[in-house]
Amino acid sequence: MKYQSQKIAVNFYTAALLLFAVQVVVGIIAALQFMWPDFFILNFNTIRTLHINALVVWLLMGMMGATYYVVTEESETELWSIPLAQLQFWATVIAVTAVVVGYIVMGVFPQANIEVFGTQLLNEGREYIEAPRWADILIVVSVLLFLFNCLMTVFKTKKFTAVQGVLLGGLTFLALMYLPGMFYTKSMVKDQFWWWWVVHLWVEGSWELIAAALLAFMLHKLLGADVKVLAKWMYIETGLVLFTGILGLGHHYYWIGTPKYWLWVGGFFSSLEPIPLLLMVWDAFRTTRETRVAVPNKIGLYLTVAHAIFNFVGAGLWGVIHTLPQVNKWTHGTQLTTAHGHLAFYGAYVLLIVAMIYVTLPSIRGVKEFNQSKGYLAFWWMTISMVFIVITITGAGMVQTYLERLLGLDYVTVKASYNLWFWIFRAIFGVGFLVGVLILVADFFTLGKKPLPAK
Amino acid sequence: MSTNAAKNLFIYGSLLCFIVLIVLTIDTMGTLDKRAPVITDKVDAGKKVWHKYDCIGCHTILGNGSYFAPDMTKAVERKPKGYLKKFIMDPRTIKADSAMPVLGISEQEADDLIAFLDWIAKVDTNGWPPKPILVAAAAGKAATPGQVLFQQNDCSACHQIQGLGGTAGPDLTRIGLKQADIEWHIKHLKNPESVVPKSAMPDFAHLNDEELKALAEYMVTLK
Ligand code: HEC
Ligand code: HEC
Ligand code: HEM
Ligand code: HEM
Ligand SMILES: [Fe+2]
Repeated sequence: MKYQSQKIAVNFYTAALLLFAVQVVVGIIAALQFMWPDFFILNFNTIRTLHINALVVWLLMGMMGATYYVVTEESETELWSIPLAQLQFWATVIAVTAVVVGYIVMGVFPQANIEVFGTQLLNEGREYIEAPRWADILIVVSVLLFLFNCLMTVFKTKKFTAVQGVLLGGLTFLALMYLPGMFYTKSMVKDQFWWWWVVHLWVEGSWELIAAALLAFMLHKLLGADVKVLAKWMYIETGLVLFTGILGLGHHYYWIGTPKYWLWVGGFFSSLEPIPLLLMVWDAFRTTRETRVAVPNKIGLYLTVAHAIFNFVGAGLWGVIHTLPQVNKWTHGTQLTTAHGHLAFYGAYVLLIVAMIYVTLPSIRGVKEFNQSKGYLAFWWMTISMVFIVITITGAGMVQTYLERLLGLDYVTVKASYNLWFWIFRAIFGVGFLVGVLILVADFFTLGKKPLPAK
Repeated sequence: MSTNAAKNLFIYGSLLCFIVLIVLTIDTMGTLDKRAPVITDKVDAGKKVWHKYDCIGCHTILGNGSYFAPDMTKAVERKPKGYLKKFIMDPRTIKADSAMPVLGISEQEADDLIAFLDWIAKVDTNGWPPKPILVAAAAGKAATPGQVLFQQNDCSACHQIQGLGGTAGPDLTRIGLKQADIEWHIKHLKNPESVVPKSAMPDFAHLNDEELKALAEYMVTLK
């Protein structure tokens, strides 16, 4: 390890991976509740809230850890303030714990979610941004402290690299796009309008910028590829992400009470969204092929390329199939959406953070060679299980669309009888996924710590 | 293209897209109130109850949310409000195997929720959710007067016959075997609670005797 500051990344990675394990355990509980609604002390809504909030928070913590690492390496200096980074880490952990306790209290006593200063105390009751207003403010403060620390570091040595620019630009955009979710509107239509600003402009805007920057960083670190070429393609990718993604927001404004022109705007721009994602796949392959050096960190490269591929498949392909209004009219809000949500988040962001961990952890631990077999094992357990979860849920979504939306059967009938087998298989593959996560967590804690067996 | 050109294209192109988004947003905000009914205090109170109990954690509304429970956009069009109110307050008494838990919702909160659900059902959603094909085709294909009345009164919103229809009430495919008494059916339709204590079925007392008899006769033929 070159910089002491990079140790702080390990704190973030550790918290992220532990939350990942929690996320998947509650995901399995949620899956079982499709068959037995009373399976657990907490009702489905609380379990689901924990599942998706754990996901978002651990991905953000992973991104923060990765960014602290990247900024020190690119700026070639220690962080502006290590104690501030530590404070920010622990403040985040404490705030997240408080929010989780609040969810559980509200899950057991729904009445406890009282109104204080015009907002709910424990749970805002809005998907993904369930965290109450006081927590929103803490989250914003935490992100601002983090951004401030990173920017001060960059200004210490003034090495304004392209990767740092896009990475910190993406993170600033991320912080700004949290704000539209922080005020109350009396109209449910306006509520959902602004809510999509947060959700869509995060995953299809700012987060993709961060992904493109980290992709360039990893390709450079692993392969020593030319920074200028990487930067050029990164700008083209991020440019196309935003040209298609910003107005692609319209694919959520077809049926929520918004004017008809969104059908044209959303349909046109969102159909183009897969293009930059495909470009990233090509970028990863081209860079790998052009570099003829021996890569010691094979697993890191493997995960980087896998991230690019599954980003395209999950977000691009599984997204574009239901993005035209003619299709979305029938599939909107069905299990098909769940299928896309899972593969997109897994491919685009879970694999991104896992790849970053494998790319940076060996340097942080100061090892050049390490046992890579567990990394592959974790990857395959997770990926195969996720692919099967997505296949079963895509099946459930097609059955639901056909029977409920096209033929007009009752929602509960379709869910309780026709789709029962899909729920059973999802739960089984969910356990397979958990196996992968546990291998990953175990490998994270031991990587590079044990001497390699003699060759 | 040089790296710098790519960088400039990225920065200025993205800014331009964002400006277009802001313009469209301003335009949209100006139209939303015209595309929906007036929001009364009761509707707003209902929306707050919706948030308080995290209904979105199981249901979708306007198609967004969770996929564990039916969409709420047109709930008040599917079922009578009296039934929905009873169900929201105490789902498991109304329907023993319901997957919705008892959340402890008060009568006042339930009334507010119904006002909110009534508001959302009237929002102009560009025709979503679409009319299912089979239901549209089945309309007007009835034979006996009883079957016609069954459709006109939307009994299938709550009852299934041979797999078609809702699940709020019992399956009626073989109701003629269970309850063969025409008089019982007439009494039940006039005032369900007179024969089934605490029944959540709405009454059909507004139908005339002839219509009630036709429906009852249809019921006993279902075997
Ligand atoms: C734990 C999950 C859960 C929560 C939380 C929940 N519901 Fe439900 N709800 C369901 C399920 C599942 C059904 C389908 C009923 C069945 O199983 O027959 C349902 C059915 C309904 C129905 C009847 C719909 C129909 O067409 O028959 C209404 C109305 C309803 N819920 C309203 C609400 C409201 C309002 C809230 C918030 C105060 C809420 N629900 C919270 C799970 C939930
Ligand atoms: C809003 C929902 C709803 C609607 C609409 C509705 N029902 Fe019912 N129905 C119920 C419920 C709940 C029960 C169970 C309680 C009871 O038996 O009264 C029931 C019970 C019944 C039963 C007795 C079933 C049994 O197994 O004991 C019959 C027969 C019946 N309904 C016929 C009808 C007819 C005919 C119509 C249309 C004119 C109709 N229902 C409309 C909800 C509804
Ligand atoms: C990494 C990127 C992406 C992620 C993480 C992601 C994730 C999600 C999630 C979680 C939802 C469900 C939201 C909810 O719970 O209501 C969703 C909805 C949707 N996504 Fe994506 N998505 C991504 C990219 C894309 C792309 C590129 C497209 C189109 C080309 C797309 C098209 C859609 C559409 C049309 C819906 C709405 C589905 C409906 O109507 O129910 N997504 N996305
Ligand atoms: C990395 C892995 C995972 C990711 C990224 C992920 C992501 C998500 C997201 C974004 C949602 C909410 C949006 C939606 O419904 O589409 C969700 C819901 C859900 N997830 Fe996961 N999840 C993962 C793993 C799992 C696993 C292993 C299971 C267990 C089988 C699971 C079960 C569920 C269930 C049951 C829901 C609720 C779906 C619904 O409302 O119909 N998830 N997940
Ligand atoms: Fe989107």
